[in-house]
Amino acid sequence: MQHPDEGTIHSWLDGALSADEAANVEAHVKECPQCGAAVAEARGFIAGASRILTALDNAPRGVIPAAAPKKDIDPMMWRVAATVLVVAAGTLVVVRNHGSNEQPMSVAADPVTLVEKRASLPERVPAAIRPAQIVADAFTPKTVAVNAPTIALTRKTVARDSISGIPVRENNAAAKAGVMMRAGQSVAGSGNAEARAPAASTVVPAHVAGGLVALDAAGESGLLKVVGTPRRIGAKVTLYEVAPGDTVTLTEAMPISLNEVVVTSAAAAPMAAQATGKSAVSQSKAQADAGPITTATDTQRKAPVLSAPAASAPAPTSQPGIENTLRAISWTDPATGRTLTLTGRIPKARLQEIKIRVERERATAAAGKKNP
Amino acid sequence: MADVERLFRTYNAALVRYLTRRLGDRDWAEEVAQETFVRALRQTSIQNERAWLFAVATNLVRDEARKDMRRRKHLALLAEEERDEVVEPEETTLERAQEAAMARKAVDGLAERDRLALLMREEGLDYSEIAEALQLSPGSVGTTLSRARRRLVESYEALQKSQEEREKNAAS
Repeated sequence: MQHPDEGTIHSWLDGALSADEAANVEAHVKECPQCGAAVAEARGFIAGASRILTALDNAPRGVIPAAAPKKDIDPMMWRVAATVLVVAAGTLVVVRNHGSNEQPMSVAADPVTLVEKRASLPERVPAAIRPAQIVADAFTPKTVAVNAPTIALTRKTVARDSISGIPVRENNAAAKAGVMMRAGQSVAGSGNAEARAPAASTVVPAHVAGGLVALDAAGESGLLKVVGTPRRIGAKVTLYEVAPGDTVTLTEAMPISLNEVVVTSAAAAPMAAQATGKSAVSQSKAQADAGPITTATDTQRKAPVLSAPAASAPAPTSQPGIENTLRAISWTDPATGRTLTLTGRIPKARLQEIKIRVERERATAAAGKKNP
Repeated sequence: MADVERLFRTYNAALVRYLTRRLGDRDWAEEVAQETFVRALRQTSIQNERAWLFAVATNLVRDEARKDMRRRKHLALLAEEERDEVVEPEETTLERAQEAAMARKAVDGLAERDRLALLMREEGLDYSEIAEALQLSPGSVGTTLSRARRRLVESYEALQKSQEEREKNAAS
């Protein structure tokens, strides 16, 4: 037999020859060292080509550049947000200062006191104690407003690092949580009860205080932004946007109206009792939370309620801003007796703070209905 | 052709890999593969499924290329840039990225028929299927493949050598 050409050798190795042809080639290759070498070389080419082609499998997707991949949060956005926050908070202080002081609607109330406090802070307090002091001040509704801008400024620099969970400044949320407890206790111990009315559950972490001011300042009306009211049977659901792309859900259980619609009058009473029983579970805890909070807006208040100490403080979270876990707080609306549930993927402390705002708005709305 | 789902399950992976290797862009490859299966839907009967699918996919690529040569050139350029920037979707070492870039270059250097025959063979098509898909005589497939393999390996090795030399020069 003639020496098989390269094509035939490849065909043979690929199993593409007929049985007769294959037998011929095999016999020849055994005898012919030159063809034996050619076969070895062909095997090398086959394996090498295969390997080279495998390297192509990791081809990029979308050679046409698609939309840039979404980053979680653009750091620039934090800066812009922080700037807006600072300006808005400052404006708020000025507006409030000039505006009526008769019934402060938010904890951001008495800026003058705050400015004084802020100015005097550095001299009075060693740096290490300052965060505690700030949070301690946060107990005093009066002072929160001035703290907030301070924090807002700090937040600007902290924001990025705190996203990755690295504590950079003392008023990082994690640090705050611990400090908050101590602050709460120290305030209680010192007997400096001025406007310390809210129980420990109203402790607002400093960054929340900042957020509160931001919320206050975001709309001059001070209203939470309602972005949707999805229908649900037996409940009134309201979606609030607390930050761009960041919503919380307020669910108001409405057992009574449900009974009216669905159940006959005979069955209504037990049903209603059942419904109330359900809500009663959260009521005791909720009232402890809700009661003081709703009244905390009154800066003149000097109630010495500290029955619920730091233990019931909102669970501190190490990350401010958006979270992945869905958190919820429930309480009973003292006016209607309905169970309100607030859920959102944000730290519990922020939920608490939004709860305050919800309560306030509900109170305002209720007052508006009474005295149109 | 009612059995497109089976066709898809059986051949999609191979077809996409073939097209990815051919085009250097997985998205484009998937697009062409999908279009190929859509064409299969319209067929009442297909004799040799695999050969038919690879032939149609190859023709789609060719038609598109012919239709919009400028776009293709632009894409190739972009792809080149992307490869140069070593922007890889998965975590890829520099070495692997370099390998991929050299492989791409070596494959692109082949004659179209050699390249397609080789890529089809890698997806398991036998000689008669390759012949059918590329409209070659069955006897010439071995020659085509042997030529394609030799050229590919040789040009890849040449690229590797020059890369090594560049690195050596850069180091000294």
